[in-house]
Amino acid sequence: MSSKPKASEYQATEAEKIQAKVAKAEKDYFDQKYSPLLREMRDTSMKENYSGFAAGRGQADTMQALSKPSFAATKSVDSSADLASAASAQMVMARGQGLAAQRKRQVGVLATARGQQADATTGLASIAKLEASDRLQSAGRKQMMRESRQQAGFALGSTMLSQGLVNKGEGRGFFDGGLEDGEGLGRLSNYVTTGSYGS
Amino acid sequence: MSQYSIGNLADVNDPQSVYSGMAQRDYNNYIKDFRPFEEQLLALRNDTSLIDQTRKDTETQRQIAQGVSKRNLERYGGAGLSPAQQQQQSQTLQRESNLASVGAINNSRVMQREVNQNMLANLIDIGQGVNRNALGQMNTAAGLQSQRYNAYKNAKAQNSANMIGMGGQIGSALLAAFMI
Repeated sequence: MSSKPKASEYQATEAEKIQAKVAKAEKDYFDQKYSPLLREMRDTSMKENYSGFAAGRGQADTMQALSKPSFAATKSVDSSADLASAASAQMVMARGQGLAAQRKRQVGVLATARGQQADATTGLASIAKLEASDRLQSAGRKQMMRESRQQAGFALGSTMLSQGLVNKGEGRGFFDGGLEDGEGLGRLSNYVTTGSYGS
Repeated sequence: MSQYSIGNLADVNDPQSVYSGMAQRDYNNYIKDFRPFEEQLLALRNDTSLIDQTRKDTETQRQIAQGVSKRNLERYGGAGLSPAQQQQQSQTLQRESNLASVGAINNSRVMQREVNQNMLANLIDIGQGVNRNALGQMNTAAGLQSQRYNAYKNAKAQNSANMIGMGGQIGSALLAAFMI
């Protein structure tokens, strides 16, 4: 007959313990140092005025090129109109590029955050799998124990019933095997040592 | 540095529970830190800020050009232009500024649409990932439910089989006692 299982034989190995410790420490470090960076980038992407910066550059370029004092330009009927036209066109281009850059950065932040969130929910699914597996195994173990107890009960009851009826058939009481005092213990001792009840 | 050496790391006695806590915290943090940001970006797909700003910019540029022209005329003592020529210059500025404004606003509409469409495409791409992930989670949950259901049914069937077996044994005992 085998001995009872020992809980100590089912403990995590040293490698597993270290793996868990390192993973926990790395996760804590990530939360502490890297998570704030994404939140910072989120705020920057909403506040920083890329369009204004680009428009300022565009305006400076236009004015440097077209607003220099010139007698010919002053006499010209349309030079100032050309200046307004060019500056407006430059402004649209610059602001459009600035806005596109800002949106790209914002979407990048969201994609990263969503990626992390997906990792979190995938983690939850893995946990659900682990817990479900544990619960199923636990239910299986309980069922196995219930059936073993039931089988043992039926085996005892069956033996008692059949032997009791034999006893009754031989004219004795249901529980009276017709044994002398102490004979029962002797027969049990024989069964344990030799495997049969006979002496 | 030394606090991160492996000997100083805290033990993790129940990795399953710690893992569960981490995943739940991460999800809660996402909801707290990024859900409002996400809502803002979703609303920005219909943004008109570029067009609105262009309307203001073209008026500002007209005023700047007018100022440059005025200063140059003062600088060159009227540059020999008659009042009629100066009036014509001013009218040209007004007319061309209006045309430039219309052109700039049209261009800004095109550019705004391009930015918004690009943004929409990126958001849809992110949304597809969200949908794929959510379906994957539901698939897992449904699979686990099915496993539990089958395990319960199997256990019940096994139990019934055992009961029938035991009934057979008792029946045999009774037959042996009364009939053999």
